[in-house]
Amino acid sequence: MENIDRKEPILSVNNLCFNYGKRSVLHNITFSVKRGTICGLLGPNASGKTTLLKCIDGVFTPNEGFVIVEGKNVSRLSRRDAARLMAVVPQQTTVVFSFTVLQMVVMGRAARLAHFRLPSIRDYREAESALDSLGILELAGRFFNELSGGEKQLVLLARALFQDTNILLLDEPTSHLDFKNQYMLMDVILSITKKNNLATVVSLHDPNLAAKYCDYMVMMKSGRLYKEGHKNNVFKADILEQVYGMKVIVENTSKGTPIAVPTER
Amino acid sequence: MGVVAAALTMGRYAISPGTLFEIISSVLTGKSIDEPLTTPFMVLFSVRLPRVIIAAMVGAALSVSGAVFQGLFRNPLVSPGILGVGSGASFGATLAIFFAGNTAWAIGPSAFLWGLIAVFLAYHIGRRGGNSVTSLVLAGVIISALFTAAVSFLKYKADPYNQLPAIVFWTMGSFNSAVWADTVRSSVLIATGLICVYVLRWWLNPMALGDEDASTLGINVPRARFIYIFITTLMVAASVSVCGNIGWVGLVVPHMARIIVGSDHDALIPFSALSGGIFMLVMDTLARILPGGEIPVGILTSLIGAPFFAYLLITNEQKGAWHS
Repeated sequence: MENIDRKEPILSVNNLCFNYGKRSVLHNITFSVKRGTICGLLGPNASGKTTLLKCIDGVFTPNEGFVIVEGKNVSRLSRRDAARLMAVVPQQTTVVFSFTVLQMVVMGRAARLAHFRLPSIRDYREAESALDSLGILELAGRFFNELSGGEKQLVLLARALFQDTNILLLDEPTSHLDFKNQYMLMDVILSITKKNNLATVVSLHDPNLAAKYCDYMVMMKSGRLYKEGHKNNVFKADILEQVYGMKVIVENTSKGTPIAVPTER
Repeated sequence: MGVVAAALTMGRYAISPGTLFEIISSVLTGKSIDEPLTTPFMVLFSVRLPRVIIAAMVGAALSVSGAVFQGLFRNPLVSPGILGVGSGASFGATLAIFFAGNTAWAIGPSAFLWGLIAVFLAYHIGRRGGNSVTSLVLAGVIISALFTAAVSFLKYKADPYNQLPAIVFWTMGSFNSAVWADTVRSSVLIATGLICVYVLRWWLNPMALGDEDASTLGINVPRARFIYIFITTLMVAASVSVCGNIGWVGLVVPHMARIIVGSDHDALIPFSALSGGIFMLVMDTLARILPGGEIPVGILTSLIGAPFFAYLLITNEQKGAWHS
């Protein structure tokens, strides 16, 4: 069973098109993600990464094509059912009211609570262990708004883990983080993806971060899929040059991780 | 209980605690009420008791609605009137006074009906305009402006000796005319609404994070928002239909509650209901016993509420009841 899980994609995007009014934002996107792997969405600003993630989660309904998650068409799922299959870590959450970290995390349980029920003491205990699994239990009583950017992302990740789904979607989780915290967060994402055997889709600004952590890459350009596949086949100078419109060379670090560096103009 | 007992005894016609106790024990043991107690009993039963009940209910309704709307609209400055229920109800009351004279039977139902109509219009305009928080608030502003203008028109056309004072007095907000019929009708609606919000209170937490977050957490946001707006509108319309527009309570009490028990709606909703009920009861009792004759409680809630709010804002700044 586990073997089949690893081979068969748990998430597939099929010929997906999405328009804002008459403007085409996504055109004919097709790719799939297997469990236990991280798929990086890359591309310049406004290439459609965030829109694609929203289509996958079902917040947006595609105009053509469809997304299949665990054998189910996402467009036909209720929000509740979608949230039982996929958890989302938003780019940035600003909260008007002062919720504590624990109160934030326990909200991940919403889709699994019976209607008209509130979280039980057990739910709060389990939310604490979700915080503990990321090593941030000591934040439980703090106000979410008073945390640093890196801590906030970890808390939102804990909330997503508490949703207890097989699929994790992250929209530029590192964009508000400093150098060190970007790597700290990606380390955590990598380890939970492998440990919990998740299918993780993460949009990233920095191709080098993707080269270090992702197994697969989806290169987007102007709403179209430019190239997708294993990072060894996608993370190449000519592809990066075409997608980002700048000259780069790709070298390998001493540990074998490829790294893209802009060339002198 | 103490506040209720105090509110029952104090007033233009003072009833001593001993008399109150005697009356209660007579009622409880089924004894007939005889001469020295007849007048206090009449005052207590037909004037003061309905008023105390409705004041506490309205206080709870306005506070809880304020807490719900502030969470729903993610804005601590939102009051229950944001979708125009108050201005709609004012129009309804004014219309009743204008066409049916100052008769209690028409004012309440008309205020209730027009309060609902106003929110219904605002909700539908807001939904057509994108169904976002911003479009709903804007639609509320539009509808409020429309009904306020209509009230002004009716005031301008009203008979300045009979109708105009009645209209002005109604819009100031008072429990002065509370009678059993209104009290029972509104209390039943408010109690139903309070129970519904209490049951659904925790779901306001994810709603308060924003539409997209709530949606990814598994909530059907448009449907949830409709349900909360529907329940609170019924409560607020039931409130303003008996006592007019009483300002500040729906804004200040949820804030005060948030400073004391935190932002988690699990605790915030019941605490808002309790403190709102007590606050309104104290205000209404003050309005009745202050020297110089009774004043509309709406004036008092604003006079006391505004400085009290300023005090809370200054002294509790660090506690952070909200972040802008």
